[in-house]
Amino acid sequence: MNQPATANPFAGMKSRDALRETIVRWLLRLGTFFIVAVTVAILAHIMVKGAPVAFRSTWPFVNVQFLTELPSTLHVIEDVKGGRIEVEVNRADQVKAQLGDAFHSETTISYSGGGILGPIVGTALLVTVSISIALFLGVACAIYLSEYARHGNPLIEWVRLAILNLAGVPSVVFGLFGLGAFVLTAPVFVDVPADRSVFAIPLGFTTLSFEGWDTCVLSGGFTLAFVILPVIITASEQCLQAVPQGFRETSMALGATRWQTIRYSVLPFATPGILTSSILGIARAAGETAPIMFTAALAFKDKLPWQKDLPPLPADASIFAHWEQSVSRFLGIFTESVQALPYHIYTLAAKIPQNEYSERAQYGSVFVFLVLVASLAASSVLLRKRLRAKYRW
Amino acid sequence: MSADSTAKTTPPPVVQVRDMDFCYGASPALFGINLKVKYRRVTALIGPSGCGKSTLLRCINRMNDRVPSARVTKGEVLVKGKNIHDADVDLTQLRKQVGMVFQKSNPFPKSIYENVAYGLRIHGEKNKSVLDEAVERSLRQSALWDELKDRLNANALALSGGQQQRLCIARAIATLPDVLLMDEPCSALDPIATLKIEELMHRLAQEYTIVIVTHNMQQAVRVSDYTAFLHLGKLVEFAPTAEFFTNPLEKLTESYLRGTFS
Repeated sequence: MNQPATANPFAGMKSRDALRETIVRWLLRLGTFFIVAVTVAILAHIMVKGAPVAFRSTWPFVNVQFLTELPSTLHVIEDVKGGRIEVEVNRADQVKAQLGDAFHSETTISYSGGGILGPIVGTALLVTVSISIALFLGVACAIYLSEYARHGNPLIEWVRLAILNLAGVPSVVFGLFGLGAFVLTAPVFVDVPADRSVFAIPLGFTTLSFEGWDTCVLSGGFTLAFVILPVIITASEQCLQAVPQGFRETSMALGATRWQTIRYSVLPFATPGILTSSILGIARAAGETAPIMFTAALAFKDKLPWQKDLPPLPADASIFAHWEQSVSRFLGIFTESVQALPYHIYTLAAKIPQNEYSERAQYGSVFVFLVLVASLAASSVLLRKRLRAKYRW
Repeated sequence: MSADSTAKTTPPPVVQVRDMDFCYGASPALFGINLKVKYRRVTALIGPSGCGKSTLLRCINRMNDRVPSARVTKGEVLVKGKNIHDADVDLTQLRKQVGMVFQKSNPFPKSIYENVAYGLRIHGEKNKSVLDEAVERSLRQSALWDELKDRLNANALALSGGQQQRLCIARAIATLPDVLLMDEPCSALDPIATLKIEELMHRLAQEYTIVIVTHNMQQAVRVSDYTAFLHLGKLVEFAPTAEFFTNPLEKLTESYLRGTFS
């Protein structure tokens, strides 16, 4: 009562503690902000440099040529006044003839003309094949580990160790594995085994020859599938474990078999999470370069995978023949080698002399690549949201 | 044990546990259990935490099979006269005929209809009218039909806790089991919801044989015809509920009922 009213009973005691608190808080905050800054810097740089390549200021606002044409060699013809004309190889001579005496010089820049449809299609195919294989194998493995395997089984511990190690394998090693396993030794049915066949099993009507699939979408897709498998297994298993045990108990108590329980009371509720993990898988598979270098990707290809020269069918060909050809054309897509976006970017950045034209193609490709991956991720997030609303608990 | 005195005039026991020992790995959980569950009567299993009453309940539909290393080491469990550990017993058929309701109400995050129809669907029933009929019957029997008949397609998780537990009962009786096992079905419910479930059990006992685990002695008095008291893995006393609570034969039972348990 007698104390002056200004005395603070809660006054802080040690200024050193307060100082330490401030320093730590700012260190942590700066660390976090630095990460954000780096991300923004990368994205902004690519936006500024890449968006002008992919978009136009006039209708239809996107650079149609860039998105719908195959890459080609760019010819830049300079006249005596310093004016520059960009043309593709077919029109180069015509332009030069028109210029006549005004012609000054001609520069060619590989891969930088045309568009990037080939790489887009190739990446889409590789991602589709790899995610299908990885989801099937990964979810199967996760279900086995989570629902069937018994805890404490030493074999299961080895399996887990193997998955962990698989996640740590450098991607170039996966590439070499894919080269050895899929490109050179995977089994195919052939009439006559090739000389390089590792061994062949005659089956009478045909021969199962281990002579590899060659560099193609299938080889690359399988290789990429193994790259993303650990991510998918680990995440899927966590999602399965997150489904309440009560669902399993109830289902079993109603007389369901283990598989019925998984099929109707576990898997539907784990699916949203599994899809999330597949987003990570898709982004990873789309971005990997090393695994496809030896197994699927070409630096340059002037055809889309379905543009194949099949012999024309006779006029009186049966419906069956047409159908057969369509099927073989479709299946042929997966046995073609392709261009892929990450490898195309690598080629543009590291394999050709750099100038403003190659840089333009580079940034454009990177920008489109980012937009594609982002929209894939976004659509998966939307799908997951809808499934969550349906199967929340 | 006087529970057997009327055995000759009533149907044979639906569930019979004979001299059963049960172990989790190396640690024994139940010793020499003998129990006869009467046809269309409610049998309550009471006892302190960890006495093995839930384990005993889960022996009756072999839910303990889910626990690795858990097994019956001696004796046998007969349901409808058949030893359920025989090699020719199909677990899915056993569990179809011995339904179970768990402590935590755990409806699937599906529609009310799908929850009730689940058991029939996994047993291969595809006929819509059969399913409709079974859903209506089960919901009526579990006193939910009038409340829910207009929203059978609503998500079961939107129901209140008590409704969810009654839905779980409806789900368990949809396959027309002979025995209904209930593992502390009211322990997570408020008194009013508990009362509803207890009323329900009285009505269900006319058509089903019920075994209920409860840690609430008053509940055992209210709902059961027979009471079994377990302590440290042993069945101490088993008697008609009225006798059990008014005139226990065992000293241990008496001290448990009085609450002077050491």
